[in-house]
Amino acid sequence: MNVSFHSPAPRTAISGSKAHRQSKQHGLEDMELDGDHEDGANGSGVKASTLHVVTPGEVITNDTAFMRGHGTYIENEKVVSSVAGVVDRVNKLISVRPLHTRYTGEIGDVVVGRITEVAQKRWKVDVSARQDAILMLSSINLPGGVQRRKQESDELQMRSFFMEGDLVVAEVQAFFGDGAYSLHTRSLKYGKLRNGTFISVPPALVQRCKSHFHSLACGVDVILGLNGYIWVSAHVPQNLDEIDTELVYSNKNKEDITPRDRESIARVGNCIRALADEFIFINDTIISFAYEASLQYKLKDMNKKEIMHAIATEATTAVDNMKG
Amino acid sequence: MPSLISPSERDYILKGIECNIRADGRQRPDYREVILETGVISQTSGSARVRLAGGTDVLVSVKADIGPVLVDPETGEGADKGQIICNVECAPSASQQFEGRGADELNNELTQMMTRFLSHNTTTLSTPSSTTPSSTGAPNNNGAGGINLSKLCIIPGEQCWILYVDALVLDYGGNLVDAVFMGTRAAIFDTRIPKTEVQDLGDGNFDFEVLDDAEDTEVVEGREDMPICITLNKIGARHIVDASPLEELCTEAKLVVAVNRSGELCGLQKGQDGGIEPSLLLEMIQFGKTLGQTLIKQLDAKIKAEAEADTIKRQNGQPVVKLGFFAQ
Repeated sequence: MNVSFHSPAPRTAISGSKAHRQSKQHGLEDMELDGDHEDGANGSGVKASTLHVVTPGEVITNDTAFMRGHGTYIENEKVVSSVAGVVDRVNKLISVRPLHTRYTGEIGDVVVGRITEVAQKRWKVDVSARQDAILMLSSINLPGGVQRRKQESDELQMRSFFMEGDLVVAEVQAFFGDGAYSLHTRSLKYGKLRNGTFISVPPALVQRCKSHFHSLACGVDVILGLNGYIWVSAHVPQNLDEIDTELVYSNKNKEDITPRDRESIARVGNCIRALADEFIFINDTIISFAYEASLQYKLKDMNKKEIMHAIATEATTAVDNMKG
Repeated sequence: MPSLISPSERDYILKGIECNIRADGRQRPDYREVILETGVISQTSGSARVRLAGGTDVLVSVKADIGPVLVDPETGEGADKGQIICNVECAPSASQQFEGRGADELNNELTQMMTRFLSHNTTTLSTPSSTTPSSTGAPNNNGAGGINLSKLCIIPGEQCWILYVDALVLDYGGNLVDAVFMGTRAAIFDTRIPKTEVQDLGDGNFDFEVLDDAEDTEVVEGREDMPICITLNKIGARHIVDASPLEELCTEAKLVVAVNRSGELCGLQKGQDGGIEPSLLLEMIQFGKTLGQTLIKQLDAKIKAEAEADTIKRQNGQPVVKLGFFAQ
C-alpha cells in the first residue's frame, strides 16, 4: 500500500513564459474603483497592479457613473458582483471575470458529453454547459450508414443507439431559442466513445484549434472536447473508410487492450490532470511533452503533487524552447 | 459526483482493476495523497480539514459543551458518562446530487455510522453482532469507540461534557467515509477540553467551575484508541481502496471496516446491493485491518508532527498561522 499525508501549501506558480498560461493582466493598471475617481484622489480603493477579487454579493463600487457588465448587477444603485472572480474594467464598464465558468459553446465546436436522459426523439447530453445540450434523433447516423428519414421504429429503439450514461463526441450544430445547444453526430468521427477513460478539466483550458482528435506517439488517442471533457483511449486505426459502420453504437471495448496500453492511457490521463492542476492550456503538443517528462517517474507516483508540478513545469519549458 | 457511467467505461475500469492498473495509474491498494491540517477553525475545541487529491474535502469540528448526563431509563446506565454527538452533513456545493433533500440519506448513513463507531457503548445504538469489544486496554468502558466517556463526566448523574463532532463535506471526489474518519481522528487529537473544579457543597450537592486558563486543558482520553475506517470496494472479483467517483459507480459491494491502532476490528458495515463471498469477506476484513493499522500510524505521525510544530512556534512567541482555505 501507498499512502502519504501532507500539509496544505500555497500554490507555487510555474516560472517562465506566461504565453500559455491563463494570466491576463490587462486593464488592471489604472484600476481605481473608489467613489472619488473623478478627481483622481487616492482613495482606499484598489491599488494599481493588484487583483481585485470579489465574491458574489460583494459591492464593487457605489459610484453610479459605472456601467454594469458581465458578472455584475445593480442593487440600490451599487454595482454588485454576481460571481466569484476578478474585476475587469474597461473605461466605465465594470465586469467580473469568473474564476470558474461553465462551457459557452459556438457552432462547430467539438464537445464530449454524457447522455443524461432519453426523451421524445431526442437525447439530453451533459456538456458542462449551463443547461443540457440536445441531440436530436434526426442528427445521428443510423448503423450501417443507411440514409433515410427516421421512423417510429427508430424512435422505439433509441436506447440501442445511446443509453443514459453513454459518452459521446459530437459537434455543436445550432442553438435553440433558450440557449441550449443542438448537437449532431452525423460523421464517422463522432459517436459513441469506447476503450478508454474520461477526464474533466475546466472548459477554459481547452482552446479552439484545427483538430480536437489526436493520436499521440505513445499509442494513445485523445479527444479534447471544447467543453473541458476529455476522452483518453487506446489507439484505434482512424481510417474513415475502414470503420465498421454496423458497430458504431456497440458498447464493447476492443479485446486487445494490453496492460501496456492501459499504463500509457493512465499516464496521459495523469499528465492532463497535472497540466489542468496548474491551469495550463491543454493541447496535443503540451500533452506529448508532459508525457515525455513523465517517463522518468513511476506511474503510481504520478498522483503526487510535487511530481505533477514537476511534469507541468518541464512540459511548459519544453514548449517554450520549441517556440524559440 | 457523476451518477451515470457508460457500459464501456465500466468494462474498462473493471478490466483495469483486474490487471492492477487503475484509471489514474494507481494500483489496487493505493491511496491518493491526503492533505491534512488541524486547528483550522478557532471557534471550536478542535478541528481538522482533510482533502484527498482527487477532490474530496471534509471539514471536521469538535466542540466541547456542558450538558446534563443522559441516563438510560431502563438500565440506569450512563449516569457517569459523557456523550459524543456526531453529525455529518454533505454541503450542496459538493455535488449536484446533494442539492435539496438529495443528501439526506447519505447524511443519515454517515451520521449513524459515526455515532456507532465512536460512541458504541452508549446504550441506544449498540449492535453487539457487528462489533468486537476491545480486548486490550485497561478498563473496558471505552468500548470499540475508544474514547473514555467516563472521563468526560463532571458530576455523576448531573453534568458532563458533550463532544459535538460535526463533519461537513465540502467537496466530493470519492471515498468519503475514510476521509470523514481521518478528519475526525485529527480533530479529536486537536481537541482541548478545559479543566473543571468540582466543589462539594454538602448534602450531596456539588458545584463546579470551568477553569478559564487556556493552558489548563485536557486532551480527550482514549483518543489513541479511536477507530478509523477503510472502505473496500468490491469490483469484479477484486477489491480496491480509495475509489474515485467513477470507480464507486462500478462498485458491486462496499465494505467499511473500522479498525483501531492495534488492528482490532471495531465495526463493520456493508453497503450497496452486491454480495461478497465468505472467503473474500474474510480476506477483505483482514486486508482492511492491516491497512488500517498502517494508515493510523502514518496519520498519527502527521498529526503529532503538526502539533509539535505548533507548540514550538507558540513557545517561541511566533503566531501559529493556519493556511486554512488559502491553500491548495
